[in-house]
Order: sequence, then structure tokens, then C-alpha cells
Amino acid sequence: MTLQEAPPITALLDPATVQSIADEIWPTLVGDGEAFVPVPVAPPAEVVSAWVTISGPWNGAVVLTCAPATAEALAESVLMTRPPTVVDDEDVADALGELANVLGGNIKSVLPGPSSLGLPQIGSAPTTGRLDDVCRVNGQWRGQSLTITVQGATEALHPSGTEVPQ
Amino acid sequence: MRALVIDDSRAMRRIVGSILKSFGYEVREAGDGQQALDALHAGKAEGWVPDLCCIDWNMPVMDGLQFVMATRANPDFRQVTLMMVTTESETGQIVKALAAGAHEYLIKPFTADAMRDKLALLGLLPEEVSA
Repeated sequence: MTLQEAPPITALLDPATVQSIADEIWPTLVGDGEAFVPVPVAPPAEVVSAWVTISGPWNGAVVLTCAPATAEALAESVLMTRPPTVVDDEDVADALGELANVLGGNIKSVLPGPSSLGLPQIGSAPTTGRLDDVCRVNGQWRGQSLTITVQGATEALHPSGTEVPQ
Repeated sequence: MRALVIDDSRAMRRIVGSILKSFGYEVREAGDGQQALDALHAGKAEGWVPDLCCIDWNMPVMDGLQFVMATRANPDFRQVTLMMVTTESETGQIVKALAAGAHEYLIKPFTADAMRDKLALLGLLPEEVSA
């Protein structure tokens, strides 16, 4: 199936499914009692994104976007760090990348398969293509803006990201 | 009990490792399949062979499935229990991993209780934890 023939993500997935996947992931990965709340707040001026690609009958990426400070707080929560321990940039990239990876893997499981998942990348989010090939949930975590976007592939799916360092 | 946690995410290695440590496991880590194979060989030389390997699927250098096949092909590590711990949840992939020699499959995200249940099924939960 070519990119042109693939059905758009809006024909395969709805925001409620993305939210239900996030509902399962947040308490187990981010921490007990933590939730991704699907109520949008003002978007931050500066953002960072982590994403994984999905290749198969549908091609695209699952992108998690938030402010750098939110990414740092997420990393602290995922890694269960407590002061005086601080997370470094690699910890933040790793934790945000793993969140995108688990989101991507679970979203892949509800899409037509077989598909393969790429390794997590972090940087400026890939550009989106067709408007109907984007499924986005704008929400918040601990009052800070967080967006989950499932977007179809364009010609250059990961133009500015770097693989999350090992 | 000894475990080798194989995942390219440090965060996930830390999470899986801390759960296993809470069950009384001695834990070592590897960032990909090749590092894990190296750790198995180095461990064998010093008398440290894990009872359990927890293996992510998607990793650079050598992925989890390749690691399972390589480990199963080596008679020195036949007794090591291999459990995939991954976001890959398509039935075809689970079948592929089990056919390659993995003993169990745990899908991310998971809880400590889910890990405990899997270890109990495998007979790898220390008595003091299962009691």
C-alpha cells in the first residue's frame, strides 16, 4: 500500500482511543495517581517533542509535545527521582522518548498491522501533512500543556530529531 | 535470584530493575541485545549467570528478538528464562517471540503486580515474596 492509498488516521483512530491508552499508561509509567487530563490549557511558548514512527499499512508518527520544564517534571516522575537528585538532559530525553515509545506501541496495536515501530526520537516535531491524517489530543498533566498527536507521514517524517541517546 | 534487564531506555531499565530488586533480585543492566550477550558471556566467566532476562524488543544494534535467538542457540544459556517486556503487542509478534524461544511476554505499560504474576507463573518468584 502506498502513502497515497493508506487510509487517513481519522478513519482508523479517534481521540477517545488515544485518551484511553494514555489513561492506562500514565498511572503505570508516570506514577500512581498521575493522569493525562484531556482538557487543553494554553500552549507553551517553547516546546520539545518526542516521537516514534509507525510503518505498515498506515505510516506516520506518534508525537508527544510539551514545554521543556514539563518534560523535566515528567522525567523526574517516571524516574521517581527525589531531591537532591536531579535529572540531566539525557534522562529527560530518555524518559520522554520512552513515554512516546509506550504510547506509540499501544497506538500501533489498534491500527491495521502488521506494522513496525521506530526507535524514539526527540527534537522539533515532524511536520504534519494532510489535515485528515492527524488525530490530536490536547491535554494537560499537573496543569501543564501536553499534546499527543498521531500524524500521517510526510516526505520527511523525522527531519530534525535525533535518536534518544543510549 | 539474578536478572539481566535489557532495554535501550535507562528509565525503563530503572523501573524494571527496581521492581525486580523489590522481589529480592540482584539486577544487572544492558542497553541493547549485543551488550546483553556480552554481559552474559562476561557474567558466565565470573560465575554470574542470570535466572531471568527481561528483554525489550525495539533496540538499536541488536533487537530483542535477535537476542532471544542468539541466546537460545547457545547451550551455555539454555537454563536462562527469557521474558519479553515490550510495547510490541501484535499477536504475530508475540507468537514470533515465543517461537524464537522466549518463555513469557509482558506488554508495556505494566504494573509491579503484573510482573509478580508473570514471575510466579515462571516459578521465579522468591518464596519470601510469594508467601
